[in-house]
Amino acid sequence: MRRFELALPESLDDCLRLLAERGPETKLLAGGTDLLPQMKNGVLMPKRVIDLSGVARVKILESDAKGLRIGAAVPARQLEQDPRVRAGYVSVAESAALVGSVQVRNLATVGGNLCNAAPSADMAPPLVALEAQAVIAGPHGERRVALSDFFTGVRTTVLGPDELLVEIVAPAPGPHSGGSYIRHTPRRELDIAVVGVASQVTLANGVCAKARIALAAVAPTPVRATTAEAALEGRPLTPELIERAAELAAQGAKPISDQRGSEDFRRHLVRILTRRTLTAALARAGA
Amino acid sequence: MAKQVLRSTINGEPVEVLVQPYETLLDALREELSLTGPKEGCGTGDCGACTVHVDGKPVASCLMLAMQARGRSISTIEGLSNNGTLHPLQDAFVRHGVPQCGFCIPGVLMAAAALLAENPSPTEEEIRYGIAGNLCRCTGYTTMIAAIAEAAPATAALRRA
Amino acid sequence: MSTMKTTRDVKGVGLSIPRPDGPEKVTGRVQYVADIKPRGMLHAKLLRSPHAHARILRIDTSRAKAFPGVRAVITAADIPQLKKKAPTRAHAVLAIDRVVFVGQPVVAVAADELAIAEEALDLIAVEYQVLAAAVDPVASMQPGAPPVAEAGTEADTSEALAHSAVALAKSDTGPSKAVNISQQARVQRGDVAKGFAESDVVIENTYHVPMVHQGYLEPHAVLAEWDTNGVLTLWASTQGSFNTRSEVADVLEIPENTIRVIPVECGGGFGGKIRALCEPITAVLARVTKRPVRYVMTRREELEAGMPAPQVIIRLKTGVKKDGTLMALEADTILDSGAFSGTVLAVSAVFLGSMYKWPSFDIRGSEVLTHKPSVAAYRAPGAPQTIFAIESQMEQIARTLGLDPVAFRQRHLISEGDPMVNNQPWQSNGATEVLKRIAEHPLWKGRAEWVKSNGANGSKRRGVGMAIGGWLGGLQPTGATVRLNPDGSVSVLTGQVDIAGTNIALAQIAASAYGIDVDKIRITTGDTDTAPMTGLSAGSKTIYTVGSAVLEAAQDARRQTLEIAAAEMEASVHDLEIEDGRVVVRGVPDRSITLAQIGKKGNLYMSKVQPVLGVSRPAFTKQAPAFAAQLARIEVDTETGEVTVRDFVVVQDVGRAINPLGVEGQMQGGSVQSLGMALTEGLLFDPASGRLTNPSLLDYRKLTAADLPNIETIIVEVPSPAGPFGARGVGEPPIVPAPAAIANAVQDATGVRITELPISPERVALGVLAQK
Repeated sequence: MRRFELALPESLDDCLRLLAERGPETKLLAGGTDLLPQMKNGVLMPKRVIDLSGVARVKILESDAKGLRIGAAVPARQLEQDPRVRAGYVSVAESAALVGSVQVRNLATVGGNLCNAAPSADMAPPLVALEAQAVIAGPHGERRVALSDFFTGVRTTVLGPDELLVEIVAPAPGPHSGGSYIRHTPRRELDIAVVGVASQVTLANGVCAKARIALAAVAPTPVRATTAEAALEGRPLTPELIERAAELAAQGAKPISDQRGSEDFRRHLVRILTRRTLTAALARAGA
Repeated sequence: MAKQVLRSTINGEPVEVLVQPYETLLDALREELSLTGPKEGCGTGDCGACTVHVDGKPVASCLMLAMQARGRSISTIEGLSNNGTLHPLQDAFVRHGVPQCGFCIPGVLMAAAALLAENPSPTEEEIRYGIAGNLCRCTGYTTMIAAIAEAAPATAALRRA
Repeated sequence: MSTMKTTRDVKGVGLSIPRPDGPEKVTGRVQYVADIKPRGMLHAKLLRSPHAHARILRIDTSRAKAFPGVRAVITAADIPQLKKKAPTRAHAVLAIDRVVFVGQPVVAVAADELAIAEEALDLIAVEYQVLAAAVDPVASMQPGAPPVAEAGTEADTSEALAHSAVALAKSDTGPSKAVNISQQARVQRGDVAKGFAESDVVIENTYHVPMVHQGYLEPHAVLAEWDTNGVLTLWASTQGSFNTRSEVADVLEIPENTIRVIPVECGGGFGGKIRALCEPITAVLARVTKRPVRYVMTRREELEAGMPAPQVIIRLKTGVKKDGTLMALEADTILDSGAFSGTVLAVSAVFLGSMYKWPSFDIRGSEVLTHKPSVAAYRAPGAPQTIFAIESQMEQIARTLGLDPVAFRQRHLISEGDPMVNNQPWQSNGATEVLKRIAEHPLWKGRAEWVKSNGANGSKRRGVGMAIGGWLGGLQPTGATVRLNPDGSVSVLTGQVDIAGTNIALAQIAASAYGIDVDKIRITTGDTDTAPMTGLSAGSKTIYTVGSAVLEAAQDARRQTLEIAAAEMEASVHDLEIEDGRVVVRGVPDRSITLAQIGKKGNLYMSKVQPVLGVSRPAFTKQAPAFAAQLARIEVDTETGEVTVRDFVVVQDVGRAINPLGVEGQMQGGSVQSLGMALTEGLLFDPASGRLTNPSLLDYRKLTAADLPNIETIIVEVPSPAGPFGARGVGEPPIVPAPAAIANAVQDATGVRITELPISPERVALGVLAQK
């Protein structure tokens, strides 16, 4: 790695002050599992790095009847294992459990995963499907952005240069809800999604009251399969309808071909994984 | 560029050492503290050879900056044995003939120790996932799994003691 | 040579003894090159070419040279000995006026800190004129393809012979006139046209295996320091200190006896650390700066610019009668060697045509140069790729004819004395026994039921597959000494780099040959100044050759010991035995002399007794082929294409298991490397730019513990005539069969035949879809 200066703020205000007075080429450091490899490869060459490990505000994890508040610097491993997350937001726990390996999950943060904004970011789809919001702090206070609007392109977000993501808030999905996240990878660990699908459904009176399907690695940003969602809402979730929705999700996807997967294979996986996650989400909603 | 003071506990001892701000925890352990047990196999968190414990949790030390360890408790392979007595995991690895080239071994042992601390009697599958972040090219993992399974009861007893 | 008989069993050959350096390894105490940091050490970094083929127009290093903390910046212009036409990769220390692969070193920097060296690289400006690149091997063979070598680069087959001890006749091999084809070979027997004409079933397939990296966990590393007398010391991660010394001497044009190579603990080699790579440039930096200099490759550099196994393409056509009689085999093999020649062409021909008794064959092989990093050996070089082809094909033949896959193979498998493709007779081997043991395995016998009992399991299907392959065994002259110490202990000296734990096996051989327990013996691995000339730790030949040397040296020491004892006790040598650390007269227990007494006499002031020093310096002529068969039980998710290996068995003929614990470790490790080649590994080069698209361990996927079952090992012992206690080489056979075994299992499970590695989920899923 090339040399850089390191700032160690002890509070969110310290941090915002450092961002405001930054020189060019400043990067925020949480878990480092995306930032450091990019710095070692010369893709990023910041002259100053701001370490968030001393900022308590971004490490909270709270749950109440209204929803789940995840500090941006909460490690994936904590999300994976927290009983409140596993009970009420299981797709989030599932996605966190898939990041890298245990040695990476103890460092990697949900905020880092989202702000790095790789198309394959595993923790994005479940949170998008849960209609979570990003809480962003800046020089003029805090603002909220729907997570589905947070990503603007490959590795780009709505964050301004003097802003940082402090929290993700996921509203409680409500009774008779269930979610699931499945991704396809060639290996069981240490891998990156070829395709990832999160499904979240809420049932009422025997039909699907709400359905959200979010996809990773099939577009420059995480995307929702809105046509598939529309086909499900207001109807009973039969296997045939689920298959139809999976078809629609696959048709709507426009993945690229790269060395991790061809376009054909990715589209095929969207169909398979949408079906599987909808089926799992339905089972959990009924349970 | 000015160095920074890292104050932390390493293998049970309080330590105060000057580190470069851009130094990783792995480099600081190896170069400043001569703890060369943790290795660099890839530098990007993809092989596990650099695994150490931070506050008891296994991490890829090549992805942490040294200063991120301030105020925390770090354990390396050098701290696994007790005054010359091998930890049950180390002893089992020796008897099962696990180490071949040996390069992955410190990382695997630290991952295994962390696994057993959290899950004192893991199934074979749980052991495999517990060390799935550690690549080994020599052994094929089979003897590692057997050794870890065998060492689990003695390790649990050691913790209770 | 005869095996030693002792009148009582010593603790030696055949015991499963854990290696004595185990405690050092599990405590992190053992030192690798990157752990060694002498005072004043500088860090080296190389600026590498971003282009696969380009002319170097200008290099400006002035800003880098002026950068604080930088101690040297070197280009090819600073190394006058560099040959314009580098004969081997090692000679291409720094590019002179042309680069021939992405990642080729162009400028070298030594600095106080690694970070400073990295920043210095940013300050170096290189002006390139980009040229068309030959990336795909088939395209590279065509007339008009961009040339890779300067015309007339010799094929480099030196390493091939160390590995495989197979020679094709002079008329069979030779460089070709076609551009970029650096070696060609052809072997023929009988009349294939007639054979095909008379066949009932003709099957033709083209098999593709990408370049793969050896995957050792420790990247290449070397520390270099010159002393004031002009002697260079290299602490190297190497599989052969004498080979490293010779190559560095040749490249830098300095005498070999001014170089001392100290083989530091090596974190894996598997063939990738045989040839010199980083040593020459590091030595130059050390000479220029007059400081110790250490260079450690990053993982990215290893993947982009290491020395991988070649890409292999085999077009294979076989003809048989419907009763299963073999008629004809025709094959075209292309080995993509990267930018420098170095593949083992002969091996491919041997395994294609010599595993089974083909009455006629026509096998052609070509080595092709491309603008990619040049290759080196990887554990049984050429064999896994070739066996993938022939064992896949044999399976398909059996299936097409409705024959049992193992029975079909057994019917046609070669035996001792059958001619190989080069008409040399097969030496004694255990291929038949190995195949028989797989056939008898409960997982094989119960396979139909296991597959059926899957029931209605959604999209999952079960399959079972097997394959057999092997290795001919390398040969290389070597040496060893065995010394009796004044306290009765024994010291053995070799130059053998111990990576796999061979030292304990050598100690066991010495113990059984000399006549004392293994715990009284210590093996020292000397460096090139102190050790007898020793060959590579490669080619599955450590136990076979160094073990033989140690055996002979221990026998020599035993003879000397008994002669001294005979003189001291006035007895006949033939009446003497060594028991419990003393030489006794058989049947007369109170007439004895201790080994310590004999040892002391050889070191006493004014003594007339010579010290006991057993010496051996053998060369070898007889190969000892070793075979392994593997069986895989898999589950395939036919929708996602994921293949899960539920059970895996490796049966291997090791001749004699000197140390079963060590032998099993080799069998398991080689099997997993083989499975990696089968399922997930491949270096993927962009066909236009020649750039590696997966230069990290995230995308160059090696298998983790979570991807694998336990590897079951079954040792078969068919003693070799010439190996120590009948031992054969152990390291290479287990990497050979798995790709074919997995492909066969996938066909069993899904009906899909995959002929391209790795057998990725995408290939399986799309193959299943294509069937519908």
